[in-house]
Amino acid sequence: MNFLLVEKIFFYAAFGLYAAAMILFFVFFALKSQKAGKYANLLMTAAFVSHTLALVVRGIGAGRLPLTNQYEFASSFAWGICLCYLVFQWRFHFRAMGAFATPVILVIIAYAALQNKQVRELMPALRSGWLALHVSTAIISYGSFGVSCAVSAMFLLREKMSGSEFWQKNVPEGKKLDFISYRAVSLGFLFLTMVLVTGAIWAEQAWGSYWSWDPKETWALITWFIYAIYLHLRISRGWKGKSAAIFAVIGFACVVFTYIGVNTLLPGIHSYA
Amino acid sequence: MDKVKKALRFLFSMQFALVILGLFVLVCIGGSVIPQGEIQAVYESAYPGWSGLILATGLDDVFHSWWFILLTLLLCGNLLGCNLLHIRPILNKMKQKTRPLPAGEDGLVFSGDPETLLKEMGFGKWEQIDRGRYAIRNKIGFWGAWLTHLGIFIIILGFALGQMFTVNYTVYGVPGEEKPIGDTGLQLSIDDFSIELRPDDTVEQYTASLTLKNPATGASWSGQASVNHPWDANGLRFYQNSTGWAADMAVYKGEELIQTDTLCAGEYRAVEGRPELLVMLRAFYPDYTQDETGMPTSASGSIVDPGYLYMLYYNGELLGMNVLRADEKITVSDYTILFSNPRSYTLIQIKRDPFTWLAGVGGAVLLGALFIAFYLRTEEIWLMEEEGHWRVYGRSRKGSLLFREKLAEKIKEGTK
Ligand code: HEM
Repeated sequence: MNFLLVEKIFFYAAFGLYAAAMILFFVFFALKSQKAGKYANLLMTAAFVSHTLALVVRGIGAGRLPLTNQYEFASSFAWGICLCYLVFQWRFHFRAMGAFATPVILVIIAYAALQNKQVRELMPALRSGWLALHVSTAIISYGSFGVSCAVSAMFLLREKMSGSEFWQKNVPEGKKLDFISYRAVSLGFLFLTMVLVTGAIWAEQAWGSYWSWDPKETWALITWFIYAIYLHLRISRGWKGKSAAIFAVIGFACVVFTYIGVNTLLPGIHSYA
Repeated sequence: MDKVKKALRFLFSMQFALVILGLFVLVCIGGSVIPQGEIQAVYESAYPGWSGLILATGLDDVFHSWWFILLTLLLCGNLLGCNLLHIRPILNKMKQKTRPLPAGEDGLVFSGDPETLLKEMGFGKWEQIDRGRYAIRNKIGFWGAWLTHLGIFIIILGFALGQMFTVNYTVYGVPGEEKPIGDTGLQLSIDDFSIELRPDDTVEQYTASLTLKNPATGASWSGQASVNHPWDANGLRFYQNSTGWAADMAVYKGEELIQTDTLCAGEYRAVEGRPELLVMLRAFYPDYTQDETGMPTSASGSIVDPGYLYMLYYNGELLGMNVLRADEKITVSDYTILFSNPRSYTLIQIKRDPFTWLAGVGGAVLLGALFIAFYLRTEEIWLMEEEGHWRVYGRSRKGSLLFREKLAEKIKEGTK
C-alpha cells in the first residue's frame, strides 16, 4: 500500500472539509441560517475523521507516532485544536464557536500543507517515549489554548453585537463564554505543564541536562508565565470578561510564536523539530 | 513594626507575585532574543555601541546574572510566604463541618427527595444543620493552589541546588582506551563502541560499552550507554553524547618506528622529540570523493576509500596540508608519518547532579496539584427546608457555572 498517497488523500480531504465548514459557519453567521450551522458542524466532524485517518495512516507507514517534523507537528496541532473544539462544543453545546475555530485550524493546516511531507527516519535522540509524550501533550495544550482564544474572540465581538438577536440566541452569554475560556485555559495550562515536565525528562536523558534555557524552552516558559498571570488576575483582581479575553488572545499569540516563530527567528536545539 | 509587617505582607502578596511574573516574562524575552554567552565582538556587531552596556549589565548571560537570581529569590520568598499565610485558613476550612450559606443568592426551589438529589450531585455524606442539610465534597480542592506553589518551589530549589553542585566531565576515545575522569580519581574504560545502521545507511543507535574503575579501591562497574539511555554508576550518569572519526598515527624516523598515537579528528600531536613539529588530523573521509567545487567530502558513511586530511605545523606556521589516501604518507626531513586503522570514537558526557530527583519530585507535585486545583474543585450544597419544599444553594468557587447548571438540571428532573 502506498501510505503516502493514501495519507495525502485524507489530508487534502480534511483540508477541503475544514474550508467548506468554515464557509458554512460564515453563512450561518451572515445569513443567520441554522441549517448552515448544522451542516457546518457535520463537515467539521467529517474533516476531523479524515484528518485523524491521515495521521493514523502516516503513523502506520512510518512505524511511529507522526509527531516529529514541522509538517507532522503542524498537522497534529490543527488536529488538536479541532479535537478540543469538538470536546468543548459537545460539553458546552454551542456551534457558533466553529466560526472562530475553523479559521485558526485552516491557517495552521495550510502551513502544514506547505511543509515537506516526506517521511524521514529519526535520529536516535528523537526516538524516545518521553519525546512522544512531550509532543502529544503539546498538541492538547495548544489545542485548548486555541479554543480559549477562539472563545475569547467571540466574547470580544459579542460585546459589539449586543443588539443582534442572532448573537443572543446562538452565542452563549458573556459570562459563560468567559467561563469556557477559563476552563480551556485551565486544561491547556495543565497540559503545558506536562509538556515542560516531559520535555525536561527527555532532555535529561538525551542531552544530559533537563533545562538549558534554549529559546524554545524559554518561550514555552514565557507562555506558561503568561497563562499563570491570567489565572491569578482572575482571582486577585477579578479580571474576568474583557481583560481576561484579551489576555487569552495574547497568550495564544505567544503559543503560536513558541511554535513557529522560535524555529524560524531564534536559534536552538529544537530547530530540527 | 507596622511598617515591617506591611512590607512583608506586600512581599507575600499576589500583587507582588504578578509583578514578579511579569518581570520574568520580560527577562525571558530578553534572554531568548539577545544571543547568550557570546564574546563582546558579537554584541558589537549585532548592537553597535551597546556591547559595553550589555556585558556590564549581564544581558549576555541573563539566566545567571545577579538580578535574575535576585528575582528568583523574590519569587521563592513570595511563594513560601504566601503558602505560609494560607496554611491556617485552609486548615480552618478543612476542619469546619458546616459553612455559612453563600450570601446574596436566591437559591433554587426543589420539591423532590433530598437524598436522591444529594446522591445525584455526587455527595455521599451530609450534615444536619439548623433547618436544613449541608454537604461538601472534594475538600482536597482547598489544597490545589497551595500544592501548586509548593511544587514550583521544590522545582526551583532542585534546579538551583543542581546549578551549584552539578559537576560535568567529558571523556572521549576509541575502544580499548582507558582515560581519567577529570579530578575524580576514577578511570573510564571504553570497552566497545558500536554504530547500528539502518538499511538506508541512517543511524539507528550509538552504543558505548563502558567500565568505570576506581583504582584506589579496585572496585569496577560495567554497563552500556546509548543515546536516550544513559548509564548510571557510582553516583555518576554517563551519556553517549556524540561521535566522530579517529585513526592511528605512526611516525618513523628513517626506518625506525618512534611513535604511535590515536588521533581523533580535530586533534594534533607533536612528533616525538620535536615539539615544534605538530601533526593534526583535521578531518577524515571514509568514502573519499570531491564535490563540485573540488572540496573533499565523503560519498557515504562506510569505510570504502579512506581519505585523511592532515595539517602540518612547524613553529606554529602551516607547513602543508593535504588529503592522504590509503598508502600515502607524509615525509618531512627524515620523518615519515602515516595514518591507518580509521574507526569511530565516542564522546561520553559524565554528570553528577545530586538534586535532579528533587526537581523531579517538584514536577510530580506540580502536576498532581494542578489536577487537584482544576479538576477536584470543592463543591458545597445547602438544602434549606421551607414550607412544602426545599431551597437549594450550591457553590463551587472555580467551577460555579457548570456546577449550578448541573444543579438546576437535577432539580428540574427531581422536582415532582
Ligand atoms: C510561577 C509561579 C506561579 C504559578 C505557576 C502559580 C499557579 C497557580 C495556579 C494554577 C493557581 C490556581 C488557579 C485557579 O484555580 O484558577 C494559583 C492560585 C493562586 N496563587 Fe499562584 N502560582 C504562582 C505563583 C504565585 C505566587 C508567587 C503567589 C503569591 C502570593 C501566588 C498566589 C496564589 C493565590 C493566592 C492563589 C489562589 C488560591 C485559591 O484559589 O485558593 N501564586 N496559582
